[in-house]
Amino acid sequence: MIELKNILKTYELNKNDKVVALDNVNLTINEGELVVLKGASGSGKSTILSLIAALSKPTSGEVIVDEKKISKLPDNFASVYRRDNIGFIFQKYNLIPTLSVKENIILPLVPLNPPANEILEKLDKVAQMFNISHKKDALVRNLSGGEQQRVAIARANVNDPKILIADEPTANLDEKLSLNFIEILRELKALNKTIVIATHDPLFFDLDFVDREIQVHNGKIVL
Amino acid sequence: MKNKINIYLVEYAINAILRQKSKSFFIVFVFTLLTFLLTSVFFITNSIRYELDSTVDTLPQIIVQKIKAGRHYDIDVDAVDNILEIAGVSDAVARVWGYYYFENAGVNFSVVGIEQYENQYKNSFEKIASKFDLSEIDAKVSMVVGQGVKATMHDSYYKEYFNFIKPDGTLKRVNIAGVFEADTQLESNDVIVMSKDTIREIFEIDESKATDIVVKVANPEEIPMIVSKIKLIYPDTRIISSEDLKVSYQNIFDYKSGIFLALFIISLFTFFIIIYDKSSGLSSEEKREIGILKAIGWRVDDVLKEKFYESFIISFFAYTLGVGLSFAYVYIFQAPILQNIFVGYSQLKTSFELPFIFDLQTLFLVFFLSVPIYIAATIIPSWKVATLEADEVIR
Ligand SMILES: Nc1ncnc2c1ncn2[C@@H]1O[C@H](COP(=O)(O)OP(=O)(O)OP(=O)(O)O)[C@@H](O)[C@H]1O
Ligand SMILES: [Mg+2]
Repeated sequence: MIELKNILKTYELNKNDKVVALDNVNLTINEGELVVLKGASGSGKSTILSLIAALSKPTSGEVIVDEKKISKLPDNFASVYRRDNIGFIFQKYNLIPTLSVKENIILPLVPLNPPANEILEKLDKVAQMFNISHKKDALVRNLSGGEQQRVAIARANVNDPKILIADEPTANLDEKLSLNFIEILRELKALNKTIVIATHDPLFFDLDFVDREIQVHNGKIVL
Repeated sequence: MKNKINIYLVEYAINAILRQKSKSFFIVFVFTLLTFLLTSVFFITNSIRYELDSTVDTLPQIIVQKIKAGRHYDIDVDAVDNILEIAGVSDAVARVWGYYYFENAGVNFSVVGIEQYENQYKNSFEKIASKFDLSEIDAKVSMVVGQGVKATMHDSYYKEYFNFIKPDGTLKRVNIAGVFEADTQLESNDVIVMSKDTIREIFEIDESKATDIVVKVANPEEIPMIVSKIKLIYPDTRIISSEDLKVSYQNIFDYKSGIFLALFIISLFTFFIIIYDKSSGLSSEEKREIGILKAIGWRVDDVLKEKFYESFIISFFAYTLGVGLSFAYVYIFQAPILQNIFVGYSQLKTSFELPFIFDLQTLFLVFFLSVPIYIAATIIPSWKVATLEADEVIR
């Protein structure tokens, strides 16, 4: 279970100027739930996602995941939390373009130093699941946008995380690939993962497997 | 588990080096060059210092020269007997020697006379005395020459004998009986050994005169005392002790190493430019990569370990390469170019073999001057980025 309690998040631009990105946000997401965060550009969707992933800390308030105060974790523990719990599909994918597909996918496993066969097993599983096996040895920078996204999804799932986060997953895709992603999402939902998606793509609205749509407006949640 | 090397991290590090080929190549090139220069300078210095120390050890304890009008004149052989009288003096030998300028090659030979029945004042002369029959050398008017001399003579087609030009313009033919072997190359390189009679003829030195007198003292502590006693008997002499010689040898040498200190500083300077360039910050791609790794669950120390492997592999590789090249350059190829700058004081322009000295201290010194500095210069900026909030870095 993910809980955001009285979250305030401000960004300091300079001494006299700051942006309030989130203002008194309270939100609870249950295990296995698929939640879509909607809202205009700049409303604060990405900020919520990065707080859940412990990529940033709230200015005040608490983020609690499975009874643990994520928002208070020291940096190294935040990394371990992400490694063990979070699969993040970034808007710009955040792949390392000069590495191969295979190397990108196994990156989250590297610090764990697992036996070689375990790495191969996990790699094959996600590469197959997200239909990128045939490009395993290609450099990421030579892939199409859709292929790059599938690599990003594979990487986010290689650790079999409980929580999947996707930020504007269809922003760089055409309609066919977007529908493709929605099918993938359906499969992931069937695996009983907790999924949080930020998007303003109408394709996500009124999907049968989406549990909840949450409207974010000017750093606040409007119901 | 904690101490186990993470092979995937190492793989990632090697990959990172190979991914930026031209940058890695440049770093390896500069790093190797600097290690090479530094190690070569140290190797050469060590070898020469070793030679020098051995040479200084073979120098006579006291040399007595006659001085007239501020110039060096031949001394009376009779003085030997008077000096032997002084308490504490264990031996005194009148030397007959001189520099012979060989115009063809433009070099000076040191021509030294030895005699069968004298105690030799140098170990290496002792060896000659035991190896060659000195009476034979005398009778056949022959000489024993150093390696360098032999090579120089060969170059001028003198293989069996050499013609010395006497002061009156006539020639004196002297046979080459053999090659001189000494403990150190510096000592033997330009030396010719022959009988005193032959030298007297070549340089026109009278029977009753000698070039100088060398004095052996049983107890080295007494050298200053004996020096002052000789001075008292012969006020018209200059007396040089081995300590004085040591200082002047060292002076010549230190002057040379000054040139190299300059070179050394330039190398270090260049090295620090690289370091500065590295520590002035990472490129935006490098920052982003660290941010991505953090975002997908790498800890700060995972990132730093990777950076450590990366910089260690590249700098250790370059270090090893530089040291290897320098070994080959100094000891196999005898340090062309650099050696001339160092061994300039040897008046003979012929070959001089650098003795092989395996000096771990030098290797360590160069290692600690380069590898850890480079690693630190790589890790510190990465550490700065890695400790930032991941969100900030990848935004
Ligand atoms: N690192 C930052 N520094 C300064 N301001 C920031 C930073 N990150 C976010 N903001 C600001 O916080 C507000 C919320 O940003 P956020 O990225 O969460 O919006 P969003 O809903 O994801 O928008 P988009 O749909 O464009 O992605 C914006 O006004 C943004 O400019
Ligand atoms: Mg956003």
